[in-house]
Amino acid sequence: MLNISENLESSMKKIILSIAAISLSLAALAQAKKPTIMVVPSDVYCISNSYSQQFVANGVEQTLPDYKKMMQNDRNMRLAITKLAAIMADRGFPLKDLEQELKNLEQEAAEVAALQGKEGGEIVESPIDKLKRTAKADIILDLDFNIQKRGPQNYVTFNLRGLDAYTAKQIAGAAGAGSPSTSAAPELLLEEAVISYIDEFNGRLQTFFDDMFKNGREVKLQLKRFGSAAFDFEEEFDYNGETMMFGDIIDAWLEKNCVQGRFNRVDGSSNMIKYEQVRIPMFKESSSGRQTAIDARIFANDLRSLLRKPPFSVDCKVYQRGLGEAWVVVGEK
Amino acid sequence: MKPCMKRFLLILLSTLVVAGADAQSRKERKILFGSSYNYEVAVLGVGQDGTKVFKVWGYAKKVDDAIVQAKKNGVAACIFRGIPGGNGAAPTPAICREPNAEETHADYFDAFFATGGKYLKYVNLTTDAIPSGQDRLKVKGGYKVGVAMQILYDNLRKDLEADGIARRLDAGF
Repeated sequence: MLNISENLESSMKKIILSIAAISLSLAALAQAKKPTIMVVPSDVYCISNSYSQQFVANGVEQTLPDYKKMMQNDRNMRLAITKLAAIMADRGFPLKDLEQELKNLEQEAAEVAALQGKEGGEIVESPIDKLKRTAKADIILDLDFNIQKRGPQNYVTFNLRGLDAYTAKQIAGAAGAGSPSTSAAPELLLEEAVISYIDEFNGRLQTFFDDMFKNGREVKLQLKRFGSAAFDFEEEFDYNGETMMFGDIIDAWLEKNCVQGRFNRVDGSSNMIKYEQVRIPMFKESSSGRQTAIDARIFANDLRSLLRKPPFSVDCKVYQRGLGEAWVVVGEK
Repeated sequence: MKPCMKRFLLILLSTLVVAGADAQSRKERKILFGSSYNYEVAVLGVGQDGTKVFKVWGYAKKVDDAIVQAKKNGVAACIFRGIPGGNGAAPTPAICREPNAEETHADYFDAFFATGGKYLKYVNLTTDAIPSGQDRLKVKGGYKVGVAMQILYDNLRKDLEADGIARRLDAGF
């Protein structure tokens, strides 16, 4: 009898160990959603080099960068972008090209306008769809440089900032001035600046990614409501045996579902709640038992599932703003 | 006690003290010479694409051994400590970012830094002639030698990533 129970115990141990090993290897195999990266010349570079457009909006004159004009005229910027793109591709992050992206958007707009079905149907496009048709990336490399003169010498001041497009945080950066030179051409000094600063920049980017894998992806989440919604965010519900305000229930759900319960409710009213520094896990287990990568939209979809069930039983729209921001609009789909 | 006996004892005592002090410093020197953290690096400028150019010092009893040590130190600085900025070049972070990587992957690095080992693959260009002047200093117990070198930094990083020693920038994506 003793032998049988010992055998059972050891085989149970083996099974548990195998299950743990399989789950671990599945987690290791899962790939997180890769952020897209694009070099965008800084506003200060475009405006100080006259690559800008003037607009009057609501009676206020605004100056905005004209990227198309800049890409068509500025050889130095093209050189810097090409160099950066080559280095980043080598590090496993092929960059989105701003110039091509702008061309694609123009082409897409023309195609959307021209495309018709066999029976004459046109593509439906809401004002929001049109607004969303802009050059986008998850991480923006905001680039600024200036070729300066000091007597007979040239030198380059260089400023490269990595910006998380959704949290608006600077996640990496490298800046400084190169050595002055009398003989080197400005283009050579610029190339030297890119080579000099990129390793430092990538080191900081790596720190950001390491933090992301350890503490979760930082996203923004907003709850809003359509006018047709049956309740506002101060309404009270019986939830898990307690009577709580809708907003507090959302807080409790986030605390349970965020990595280490980390999130920050920055603002709220009866019509909206704004969360920042929401640390969502990089992976979740799908219904088939596989680890799948998640982003803000998938995380918001899980919240929508909660709201569709009693006691809320309400339809919601999940509005995606890239990998790192999602809105849950309560009341309608 | 006779005065000559006193004098003899005093001389004996002072000899022992001096010998003891010398033994201590020799021991310290040995530790210093053998320390794997003793990298002195001065950046010479921005290298060609994918390379780093700097001067690094090595310690050894003989000049030739100090040159070999300097080459090892140059590669080790890139892997474990990073290279400081200077002469128009920005600082470069260490390739292995995990703390105590040297100990975690001890077997790998023992073979890597063995005499004539793989580390030489990344030392592209050095002032391999016997350094002179300020680059060859006679210090107690040996030489401190400064060698200017070009390290193939990108190749080194890629090989360490391929061997699973360093983490790729896109790892996990």
